[in-house]
Amino acid sequence: MAEEESQLEEFEQIDFLRDRHVRFFQRTLQVLPERYASLETTRLTVMFFAVSGLDVLDALDVIDRNNMIEWIYSLQVLPTEDQSNLSRCGFRGSSHIGIPYSVKGPGVLHPYDSGHVAMTYTGLTSLLILGDDLSRVNKQACLAGLKALQLEDGSFCAVPEGSENDIRFIYCAACICYMLDDWSGMDIQKAIEYIRGSMSYDNGFGQGAGLESHGGWTFCAIASLCLMGRLEEALSQRELDRIRRWCIMRQQSGFHGRPNKPVDTCYSFWVGATLELLDVFQYTNYEKNRNYILSTQDRLVGGFAKWPDSHPDPLHAYLGLCGLSLIGEPNLRKVHPALNITQRAFQHLQQLQQTWRDNAGTCT
Amino acid sequence: MFYRDRKEWADLEPVPQDDGPNPVVKIAYSEKFSDVYDYFRALLKKDERSDRAFALTAEAIELNAANYTVWHYRRVLLQALQKDLREEMRYITDIIEEQPKNYQVWHHRRMVVEWLNDPSEELEFIADILSQDAKNYHAWQHRQWVIQEYKLWDNELEFVEKLLEEDVRNNSVWNQRHFVISHTTGYSSPAILDREVQYCLNQIRKAPHNESAWNYLKGILQDRGMSSHPGLLEQVLELKETHCSPYLLAFLVDCYEDALENNNQKETLNRALEVCEYLAQEKDTIRKEYWLFLQRSLESRFGPSAASGEPLADGTEPPAGNDCHT
Repeated sequence: MAEEESQLEEFEQIDFLRDRHVRFFQRTLQVLPERYASLETTRLTVMFFAVSGLDVLDALDVIDRNNMIEWIYSLQVLPTEDQSNLSRCGFRGSSHIGIPYSVKGPGVLHPYDSGHVAMTYTGLTSLLILGDDLSRVNKQACLAGLKALQLEDGSFCAVPEGSENDIRFIYCAACICYMLDDWSGMDIQKAIEYIRGSMSYDNGFGQGAGLESHGGWTFCAIASLCLMGRLEEALSQRELDRIRRWCIMRQQSGFHGRPNKPVDTCYSFWVGATLELLDVFQYTNYEKNRNYILSTQDRLVGGFAKWPDSHPDPLHAYLGLCGLSLIGEPNLRKVHPALNITQRAFQHLQQLQQTWRDNAGTCT
Repeated sequence: MFYRDRKEWADLEPVPQDDGPNPVVKIAYSEKFSDVYDYFRALLKKDERSDRAFALTAEAIELNAANYTVWHYRRVLLQALQKDLREEMRYITDIIEEQPKNYQVWHHRRMVVEWLNDPSEELEFIADILSQDAKNYHAWQHRQWVIQEYKLWDNELEFVEKLLEEDVRNNSVWNQRHFVISHTTGYSSPAILDREVQYCLNQIRKAPHNESAWNYLKGILQDRGMSSHPGLLEQVLELKETHCSPYLLAFLVDCYEDALENNNQKETLNRALEVCEYLAQEKDTIRKEYWLFLQRSLESRFGPSAASGEPLADGTEPPAGNDCHT
């Protein structure tokens, strides 16, 4: 009797609890308790995790898309009347600076208001996922703001006031240029040099030259090159094969981010998507990967955590889903491995870009 | 006591956050939290440069050390008010000890060190942080910056060796080893290269199942002729009997591949294919499909059909190989 029961229990343990995850993301989009204060300046990225997560679950119907679109537009840093703040334009992570709510321009002059490259990236992706046509995005201002963030060595800072600079923000910049279909916002050649310079002796990529190779930065490197359309120009076949080997060695059950470190759900996406972009994800062990991700599922509140029996959070919940989507989990939408949005949202982007090109053609 | 009730702050109008009618991912702040930040926002709007503003930034940081705007404003004030940067170093030291995985605190420390142009506390401080978490990426990043910026290479290899003695599987330390050597002596001298190769093999003898050591070994040899390093292949084949691991076997495949590129021999290819088979079926089964893929790829690049120039059954073309000798 006991043996039968424990076998049944085992089967239930690896059951994918779709509805719990939908509710997890719904709650994320509503109110979070004060202990999440450290997420204030990055609330827009948290929104992206929830909204894209619902898209992967094919559950966008549970939210009010229009209200959310308005909130995102209220975070756009628009040019002031005299356009003196162009190099600071983009999207904010939240209202933490205290600019009064507004969804239209002109921008308000404020000594400390500026966009953040990761928020411009997640702002644009979130708008796309919610079905917006980006018509209220001041694209030229976004690109001017982006240009101001690139350094001599090719990497990007996050904000014009100054911040650390590394490969993460190159990825954000590449996504922005890709979505806006305009690469004037960055010096591609310099970015490629920085990316190449970040390749470690062990053939993974670090956050910058000399730094330890890591699954997250390797994703940023490869995904950026793919978005730029320069993967095979920037890296030789030999190098690509070596990178494939580094990535595929990250699988232990799920994936870890660095050799001799514990596995963590989010790397099922960072490393998994990189392997997919390099055409070798098909050679990984899907069953072990799936079992690991599901072992980090929170059966009570939904979402996923980095490890089993840990607290779930929006990032791991979203990337856990994306990891499952990569292995073809039923009833999950497919994810574009470089842009990290569903293929559905990607198709919407492609249609938009076609419209822009058509309109550009008819402007005399 | 709330700022809104303090008479020395009565001149300032607090500025609340405004998310409009439909806030998303709203964080429910306590009265105390909102009070501090409402006054922070008020100061920011005025761009006030005062001691009371400086003091408030510390409170704001304590509530949310990830708010990069607060840190930036604090730096503006540090300069405008000509604050004591040594005291700021003490302050940032304490904060990093409490929150060592926050980007903003490390960036702030870097700025203060640059302004002081004084790295003298850094190596010891970082060593202390690493003693609590030997793989903290921020700590290693800051360490590399300090060493490179201020040319503090002298004792770093010693530091690396000490940490490898504590944990030979710490991948961050192996990375640091490569960082130090490549920026000092380099790897081009045969003496250094050989020393490093032997160092690796010794560490592998002590702890065979260590991807970091094998990655380092491959890393320093992969563009310097893996298969031509004297006696290496023999040593590895010897280790295979007593200290086998998936990493050893993968290294063997890579040695054979390197050999094949210079001299395509059927015997070498067969050995490579055999090791792939062994990995796929027994020693690294989680990557079974990958090792079989690699096997097919080696076969297509160096096998008999490659020499003949015919396309393969799966439609792939062999390389235009003028490196295929028979």
